[in-house]
Amino acid sequence: MEEPNKVVIGLWDHEEVYLHAIEKIRAKGVQIYESLTPFPVHGLEDVLGYRDSRLHTAGFMFGTVGTIVALSFMTWTMTVNFPLDFGGKPYWPIASFIPITFEMMVLFSAWGMTLTYLVRNRLWPGMVPRIYDKRTTDDRFALVFDADNVASDKLKELRDLCMHEGAVEVKDKQFN
Amino acid sequence: MNPKFEFTDSIKKALYYMIGIGVLGLLLVFFLYRENNHARFWSNILANTYFFTGIGLFGLFLVAAAQVAYGQWHTLVKRIFLSLSVFAAFGGFILLIIVALGLVNVHNLYAPVTHILHTGQGDPIYTTKLIYFAPAFWLGRLLVYSILWFLFSRGMNNFFARTDQTDPKVYKKSRIISAAFIVVFALTESFISWDVVMSLDPHWYSTLFGWFNFASYGCAALGMSILIIIFLKSKGYLQAVNENHVHDLGKLLFGFSIFWTYLWFDQFMLQWYANIPEETSFWVKRFDVGYFKFTIFLTLIINFAYPLFLLISRGSKRNFKTIGFGAALLIFGHYVDFFNFTFVEPNWNTEAVEAHKEAKLSTENVVLYAQAQQNENAVSDATPVKENTEVVTTAVEKTEGEVHHEEAPVNYAGIGVGELMVFIGFLGVFLYLFFNNLSKRPIMPEDDPFLKECERLEVTYA
Repeated sequence: MEEPNKVVIGLWDHEEVYLHAIEKIRAKGVQIYESLTPFPVHGLEDVLGYRDSRLHTAGFMFGTVGTIVALSFMTWTMTVNFPLDFGGKPYWPIASFIPITFEMMVLFSAWGMTLTYLVRNRLWPGMVPRIYDKRTTDDRFALVFDADNVASDKLKELRDLCMHEGAVEVKDKQFN
Repeated sequence: MNPKFEFTDSIKKALYYMIGIGVLGLLLVFFLYRENNHARFWSNILANTYFFTGIGLFGLFLVAAAQVAYGQWHTLVKRIFLSLSVFAAFGGFILLIIVALGLVNVHNLYAPVTHILHTGQGDPIYTTKLIYFAPAFWLGRLLVYSILWFLFSRGMNNFFARTDQTDPKVYKKSRIISAAFIVVFALTESFISWDVVMSLDPHWYSTLFGWFNFASYGCAALGMSILIIIFLKSKGYLQAVNENHVHDLGKLLFGFSIFWTYLWFDQFMLQWYANIPEETSFWVKRFDVGYFKFTIFLTLIINFAYPLFLLISRGSKRNFKTIGFGAALLIFGHYVDFFNFTFVEPNWNTEAVEAHKEAKLSTENVVLYAQAQQNENAVSDATPVKENTEVVTTAVEKTEGEVHHEEAPVNYAGIGVGELMVFIGFLGVFLYLFFNNLSKRPIMPEDDPFLKECERLEVTYA
């Protein structure tokens, strides 16, 4: 998703008011681009209408890949490439592959999920994250609205709506 | 608003029928299978007592662990966990009686140990273990566990029935009692598994056997409480318990299933890899007999593959139908697991096994002879190698065919109708004691300081 250049930012100072404001604003049919809070707010995903994260599905897929890679590689080395007799065990000692397979599964899903998370959230190395308002790491709860290609009277309505729902401050911001 | 459980006549009647089926099953097994001094009958009693005692102890442990950790998720179903333990209060004494009867040769379950105790001669590997299995020490230990379980089951049931739980002093006391029980449980649960199950085959030992049984108890107890909660909800009790509480129990059920698999695999893989005869004897016995090989892998499928694929998702843990089915299946799976431990050694037909070994040895001799002959031929006539192998395979096939006819059954027991009937009977006794205890006081602990918090429990993730 492209980041908008022009945004409207509403700032709240209390989580309860903030949660109610989100419900009201969404009920009016206004799209919320981003929500930023200084700490995890209980029930925020519900009022924002977020779907369940698909990260765990990705994790399952990476884990499956890790399992297949580990098992097939060990099978190939131990049976086709260089069969060795270890203590009279069969050439394909599946039981002794399991711990390594498990480790590889964990490794693949951990790395895969971390990288997926970083890429999805635009946190790759060298990336300068966009800061909408510095006080969201301190004491302000922010809602960010996409203001690109939105008529000015609509924006005024939006600002009024935020103030009406208890925002302590509403401001416009233009990025580059 | 917060009613007591009404132990109605219809439920009682159903339980009486179950107990009747169990008694019938015991009689059936006792009179039909006389091999090895009615070993199958005693194995049945041992396996079921051990299984349901474990469930009861784990119920008590769940309360104790949550209480020590200031837990609130269990408050609504606390009395259900506590009532599970009533069977464990008596189960210890039944196990004690089983071992005592074994020592006076009423049955042959502990024959490998008792034989050497009585005659003073046998495998030298037992000599150090005999100190541990001295009759007075053995029975004394069992008596100590039984008394401790009885006292803790009664004590905790009575203590949590007090109406002044909100008093901080009482709450502090409950945590002290719980902490004490965790220590008692950790020790006695390990020791009982060595004393009554691992001693069936005194040659074999596994250092994680106590833990392994703990994981089994966990799955069975959590499955049992989930089923009971669903039953009570269908009868109109426990209205405050919703899918969030069942979800928490389901997560524990899933976790304990994976923990069980981890220990199962550890036990198997290390002993298979180390290949020490003392340890592998256990697995050879089970893998040599087709039936036990089947039950071993059946437990792996039920207790690992099923929860891994079907209980992992959030929806299936919050749906009473899927989680109820899973709980019932896991209870059966862990019963089969205990079957694998308690039924193999006592019902082992030693003579048939020896005959089988001899036959196998003769097969090997034939093969070796054929190989030697072929090697000679190869040296003298330069016969191609391919023909050699053909001759050897035919020799093997020939002898195997002969051996097959001589083979006698190497075990006397499997999971038959009798076993299922006895299981149902023990389940009936267990549930009778459970409901009897539950009906004595309100189902929900009304005065618990964490009750309101538990009613608002919300499981957001996983």
